[in-house]
Amino acid sequence: MRWNLHERAARIRWAFLPLGLCALAAVGAHAAADVVGDRVLWGVDRIDALFDALWSKWSFTAPLVELVGLTQRTWFARAVALIWELLADALVAVPLLGYGERDAAKEWQAGRDLLRRARSPLGLVRPLAALLLSLAGAFSVGRMVQGSLQLALHLSWLGHLARAAVLTGLAVLLVPRAVFRSLEHARTARFRLPAAVVLAPLLVAALLSLR
Amino acid sequence: MKGRLPLLELFLSALCLWAGWYHTPAGALVRTVGAWFFRTRTTARPLLAYFGAGTLVPPRPPPFLAAPVPPAQALAYGAAAVLESEPAEVVPRLRSFSRRLGSDDAALLALFCGEDAALYALDEARSSTLDDLARALPPRAEACVARAAQAAMLGETYALGWPLPETVRITSAFGAREHPILGGWRLHSGVDLGTAIGTPVHAVAAGVVRRASSDGINGRILVLDHGRGVVTTYCHNDALLVRNGQRVEKGQVIARSGDSGRTTGPHLHYQIDLAGEPVDPLRFRARRPKTGNGATD
Repeated sequence: MRWNLHERAARIRWAFLPLGLCALAAVGAHAAADVVGDRVLWGVDRIDALFDALWSKWSFTAPLVELVGLTQRTWFARAVALIWELLADALVAVPLLGYGERDAAKEWQAGRDLLRRARSPLGLVRPLAALLLSLAGAFSVGRMVQGSLQLALHLSWLGHLARAAVLTGLAVLLVPRAVFRSLEHARTARFRLPAAVVLAPLLVAALLSLR
Repeated sequence: MKGRLPLLELFLSALCLWAGWYHTPAGALVRTVGAWFFRTRTTARPLLAYFGAGTLVPPRPPPFLAAPVPPAQALAYGAAAVLESEPAEVVPRLRSFSRRLGSDDAALLALFCGEDAALYALDEARSSTLDDLARALPPRAEACVARAAQAAMLGETYALGWPLPETVRITSAFGAREHPILGGWRLHSGVDLGTAIGTPVHAVAAGVVRRASSDGINGRILVLDHGRGVVTTYCHNDALLVRNGQRVEKGQVIARSGDSGRTTGPHLHYQIDLAGEPVDPLRFRARRPKTGNGATD
């Protein structure tokens, strides 16, 4: 029975592995965007103050000052964080759906070749983002598992153990694959500079969210 | 890596899908589009509700107060308003949690989510603020975290002071009214306090200056962020005495009132926002200033 399950799982891995990689990076992107969200609100306040000073100079634009209140500013800051996250999903997580398996040794070799052949630092932004967002995702999933187990079963040691196991499993089995696939994709990816601009703040946020 | 540990990989991928599907806006987007396509119902939250760990849901406005709130019991009054119970029932429970857990925010979390959840969050969070505690909890705790955050907001608001002496009259109350300059019915999102130019304006609680700017409508405007989702706004000042990002203490003079911006005369527009929604400041005060005719905006 065990081998049956093993074989069945092996037969459908072409489908679940890319989905898992994509979800892992998406969870990491959300953890990073949540960190960015609070900072965005302060930025939105500054920009709104500048625009209010400008709009209030003319009577026909004056109603715009009252159009954007605190509610709208909070909503707008969250919307910016959301769009940022979805862009990161599109740039990093979605391409991971194209992951195609190969032999472990060949995969490592191909990864090293791709890294050597990377022509500019801009080409490495997406793989770096894949690494940090996947790691942030692994930490997030680990935390969710620990919290869910610990609060349901009231066994602290089990929660900690499950978190460590999930984190290790994801870091060893899924994160390197995400980076490899991202290296593959980065060779042909376009819009490198805009992608770097979008992803750079999220990389810092992803680092801050690691715990 | 072919052929290695497929069951473990399947399990880990399933965990990632579970986390991504239920706990990210991208998952919510896919679920919502799927529900629309297949004409089914979805349990996905609105996309923007996935930010801030569920701590920014505005509370229902509480009933008007019959008696003043003792400052030490403000948080219990906030919790009682959310629980729709009597403050006297909440005070001892909250005090006991606070003593055991060593933090008011953790005590609120214990009241709404259970002591186990609060202890776990205290162990895992970076600080004992409600935002950080909420982020440490698993997503299923979201509903109770939102209620705890609402109680914290209301409690913080019950503890607020008043920006001007109590003797200053209210010249325009909170609520829908005909606009004195533009005409037409609009929401007046704060209260107008008729006072002479140069009157010291005090911070109603400790906080950080989120905005100190000037425009032709609000005049010289100050926005203070007191934490726990509570923000106060002071408009039409003559002079601002603090700057962006500065920390202020309760009672500190932060501005001199005036008639800058679009007004009918000297007054202070004072506004309280809870989670971005304006509320009537008089709901949180048993002693209400007298009302009378005078300058407004």
